Amino acid sequence: MVTYREDGSSEVQLGQTRVMGIVTAQLVQPYRDRPKEGMLSIFTEFSPMADPSFEPGRPGELAVELGRIIDRGLRESRAVDTESLCILAGKFVWAVRIDIHILDNGGNLVDAANIAALAALLTFRRPECSLGGEDGQEVIVHPPEIREPLPLMVHHLPIAITFGFFSNESILLIDPTHNEEAVMNGRMTTTVNANGDICAIQKGGGEGVPQRVIMQCLQLATSKAASITKQIKDAVEAFNTERALRKIKRHPTSTGVDVREKQNQYTCNIPVSLEHFKSKTEVVITRTRKHYPLNMAA
Amino acid sequence: MEVDREDGRSQNQLRPLACSRNILHRAHGSASWSQGDTKVLAAVYGPKAGTKKNENPEKACIEVIWKPKTGQIGKLEKEYEMILKRTLQSICILTVNPNTTTSVMIQVVNDDGALLPSAINAACMALVDAGIPMRHLAVSISCCVARSGVSGLVILDPTKLEEQKMKAFAYLVFPNSVHSVLPEGSPSVQGEPIENGIITSVTHGTMSVDDYFYCLERGRAASTKLSDFLRRNLQQQPTNSSKAG
Repeated sequence: MVTYREDGSSEVQLGQTRVMGIVTAQLVQPYRDRPKEGMLSIFTEFSPMADPSFEPGRPGELAVELGRIIDRGLRESRAVDTESLCILAGKFVWAVRIDIHILDNGGNLVDAANIAALAALLTFRRPECSLGGEDGQEVIVHPPEIREPLPLMVHHLPIAITFGFFSNESILLIDPTHNEEAVMNGRMTTTVNANGDICAIQKGGGEGVPQRVIMQCLQLATSKAASITKQIKDAVEAFNTERALRKIKRHPTSTGVDVREKQNQYTCNIPVSLEHFKSKTEVVITRTRKHYPLNMAA
Repeated sequence: MEVDREDGRSQNQLRPLACSRNILHRAHGSASWSQGDTKVLAAVYGPKAGTKKNENPEKACIEVIWKPKTGQIGKLEKEYEMILKRTLQSICILTVNPNTTTSVMIQVVNDDGALLPSAINAACMALVDAGIPMRHLAVSISCCVARSGVSGLVILDPTKLEEQKMKAFAYLVFPNSVHSVLPEGSPSVQGEPIENGIITSVTHGTMSVDDYFYCLERGRAASTKLSDFLRRNLQQQPTNSSKAG
């Protein structure tokens, strides 16, 4: 389930796992050796609210690994176009920061966090800016009320799919839950996109698996990636249409504003004459729980 | 004396409230509270064995972790943690489970004014969801002073823009109103009903003493409405059976 509240923020529910992604951007000076490229950085917060074993403070190795997998999927596959983030070469570029907050650990945090990051990136809008000043060296950032903010250029969506291996029973699981993760022998995360390109594969130790099994995983991942990509895109579409509708109704005249209530939680009836237009888009991603027999012998 | 508010509310109108409990699966208790566009998620784990180094082992200890929406944890977050900890310590019955720690985690989902009051309300609901013993609930409200002097004007539940524009604002926490079934009525302290007591008050900016008292009055009145909302919400949703960690 992917829900949106506002530009650049998303909340993903994958079974019992719940992850929130927030995207913000800032104008900074680019790296010296890459003056024409913007920056993309990912911060993962394994909040202690997700799991009693998560410690607050410095990210543990799981958090770092998760951040690295998502980072590799986005940055090295050039999913987000960093050159379009450059405003003034060598002086001003946009640094996009993705914060991933893990709210509830029901297993398979990598996949959920990846979807949250992608969804937030797709709905993020950065302010439009133009060059000005006497010599064209100053950057003027236009506030969103004056000029419509622009979306990021995202070429493709790398989707991470995690598999778990159980060698004793020769079982391959896709999308392990928290209990399954505790007992599985090995894990592998593949990041593929809907075009069938492999963006990243991460298999860190654990039980050794034959090549055949890896190929099987990749094929499964490619088919899953297509359906997940479609779901993300549908949710983004729905959000964009509601956003466009909201913009039309936003015009001043404080009387006669749309009185529609969109609260799917319990609300009190403290009298309010005018309501904010709130929208929630929902897409259900059913948690896939399939077992595939491995043929380990032979 | 009316004031024009951006979203058309009158001076005593709160934003639409929404609250839900038991939304997270791993946490022992969880709640989300939203006032208008401000939304806060609270989770409670506890009681866990042992207390921290400098805490009194004869009482339960409450630990608060505040996570902002984006950015590093700084002094402001530490201050919120401290205020929340002290507020919650005064409403929980600490002698029931000595030498234990209850952790309260707050995650800011969106900040549009009245962040600390929303967090306190959410934390209170999450503690109820987790079954932590408490004396009474805390309801929290924010008021800001629009104009001071003779024509003093206090508006309730300001948005972020209003907080920034106004001279001063105050976050107030009161105990919730009591519906007593005992013949002697609600408990009182020194002749005043217990719900008039102020648990916490945090002010920003300068305001005169009269303005402050006016804020307190308004806050007190609004907190009755909030108490009713809390009571209805809690009565509707029965707590699920406890979750093992």
